[in-house]
Amino acid sequence: MSGKTIIEKILSEHSGADARAGDRVWADLDLAVVRDFGGPNVVLEYEKQLGDKPVWDPQKIAMTFDYQAPAKVVLVANNQRACRQFAVKHGVPHVFDVNAGIGQHVLLEHGMVLPGGVIIGTDSHMNLLGAVGSFSTGMGTTDVAAGWATGRLWFRVPETIKITFKGEYDYPASAKDLTLFLLSKIDKSKTIYKSLEFYGQPIDSLSLAGRLTLASMVTEMEGKIGFITPNQSILDWIGERAGRSVEAVLPDEDAAYKEEWEFDVSGLEPLIACPDNPDNVKPVREVAGTRVDEVFIGSCTNGRFEDLKVAAEVLQGMGGKVAPHVRLVVTPATTEVAMEAVEAGLYETFIKAGAMVTNQGCSLCTIGHHGVLAEGDVLVSTGNRNFRGKLGKGSQAYLAGPAVAAATAVKGEISLPE
Amino acid sequence: MSKEFVFRGRAWVVGDDIDTDMIYHGSYLPLTDPKEMAKHALEYVPGMEDFVERVQPGDILVTGKNFGCGSSREHAVITLQYNDVAAVIAESFSRIFYRNAVNLGFPILEVPDITEEVETGDELEIDANTGRIRNVTKGIEVRGTSLSGLEKEIMTAGGLFGYLKAELQAEE
Repeated sequence: MSGKTIIEKILSEHSGADARAGDRVWADLDLAVVRDFGGPNVVLEYEKQLGDKPVWDPQKIAMTFDYQAPAKVVLVANNQRACRQFAVKHGVPHVFDVNAGIGQHVLLEHGMVLPGGVIIGTDSHMNLLGAVGSFSTGMGTTDVAAGWATGRLWFRVPETIKITFKGEYDYPASAKDLTLFLLSKIDKSKTIYKSLEFYGQPIDSLSLAGRLTLASMVTEMEGKIGFITPNQSILDWIGERAGRSVEAVLPDEDAAYKEEWEFDVSGLEPLIACPDNPDNVKPVREVAGTRVDEVFIGSCTNGRFEDLKVAAEVLQGMGGKVAPHVRLVVTPATTEVAMEAVEAGLYETFIKAGAMVTNQGCSLCTIGHHGVLAEGDVLVSTGNRNFRGKLGKGSQAYLAGPAVAAATAVKGEISLPE
Repeated sequence: MSKEFVFRGRAWVVGDDIDTDMIYHGSYLPLTDPKEMAKHALEYVPGMEDFVERVQPGDILVTGKNFGCGSSREHAVITLQYNDVAAVIAESFSRIFYRNAVNLGFPILEVPDITEEVETGDELEIDANTGRIRNVTKGIEVRGTSLSGLEKEIMTAGGLFGYLKAELQAEE
């Protein structure tokens, strides 16, 4: 019998079974999370199915309100209230309310995400926590409600594709460009349902923010999870927050991979995903000059401090002013990120440039937020999806890294940073 | 839903990469009543804007690759279920949509190249147990993946809560 991949190891550990690709296993959950989207549906489903039955473990349930934070329609306010009331009733202590920021990032900062853990949540980008070697995955209402009741769920153990990068690239190319590069190269019919493991020097040298960027878009690659093995400094960062020492889960040397791919990212240039699909990727220079109406810098893909810092530096370096016809929305991922950005003076740069800096949260990754698009509007976003009409019927969206987004805001048309 | 997973119905054919915003747009996410969710099925799929007015109980949705990509929203399954769509046949499903459908006992079948064999309005006969699909209108038969294993057990129980019923009651 061959050795195990990371996902096989994690699911074996959590199921007590010898979990192999293709098997169905029932695995114990370390954390089951809802947002203000999905959360109310989970609460209703739980109560419909189980009435007043106590949840499996209140400590292993979390709520993160980031979809519409704070609520702007009464329906959402009611939904958030229903979640809070459920939390009180069941003694759930971990409620990260509308002032906290993007759920996964908040959980990570609070030491609630450990390498090798199993986490589910009502967010299709839960799997960005693969950035620290956690098996986290998005699920629907029924799954999470059942998870709250039983503490375990069924999983089909995915096959794994080993992806190794080589080569070096320089600014202005970033982790986002490496991610878009990969999206443009892969055949989604091969990555669908798969676990991806990322290796190579270009991955090792990524910061935590860069790792989160790559892991977050595994969803758009149709993968189930993308694992990046945490290095010592990331393990220390998590350990300090978790209040215990943590270790990475490594695959066996003779692990059986479905496929092994290698990509050379030497000389990577800034890329952009064009409407209406994240894999419709082109070099920025090919679409430079396209007029835009709005730019969004933030999201679970590019909402960390270093993303905002790069954007602020580009704004400053290119004259410090957003083009008069462009609306620039900047959203820090979390409270911690917001504080860092304030202390570093980034807010001043953004506000003086004419940007609107919003409170922490998912912001313009959903239509739930202020800043939605008019028919005919063109957006450049640092988010992860540009599906047709996502932020408004008849609008178009491009996806790029923070440097390109900031340069575009200054020029009023898709531009490379200068 | 037929517990035997055998259906006959009229096909609606749509293309590849139908994402969850097309199936059920993000602007309706705050809704929690399935009957309200049902009013917005496929509203953002080009050419299907009036689907909810034209769909008949028992109709079958036939789609290309990667159906249901995007969000984890279970609304995307519920909106079809509450329009009495009998099943979705796709060339492939996005992961979360597939899982949500299983957990809600909503029949789904994977059939390669199915959109080449079926046109909107064709009468289809499906046996999900065997993966056999007969296009009655065109007189052809194709085969896809059959329901099996744990997924079939969950679907036969009417969904995840039906499947877990015995366990949840035993705990009390």
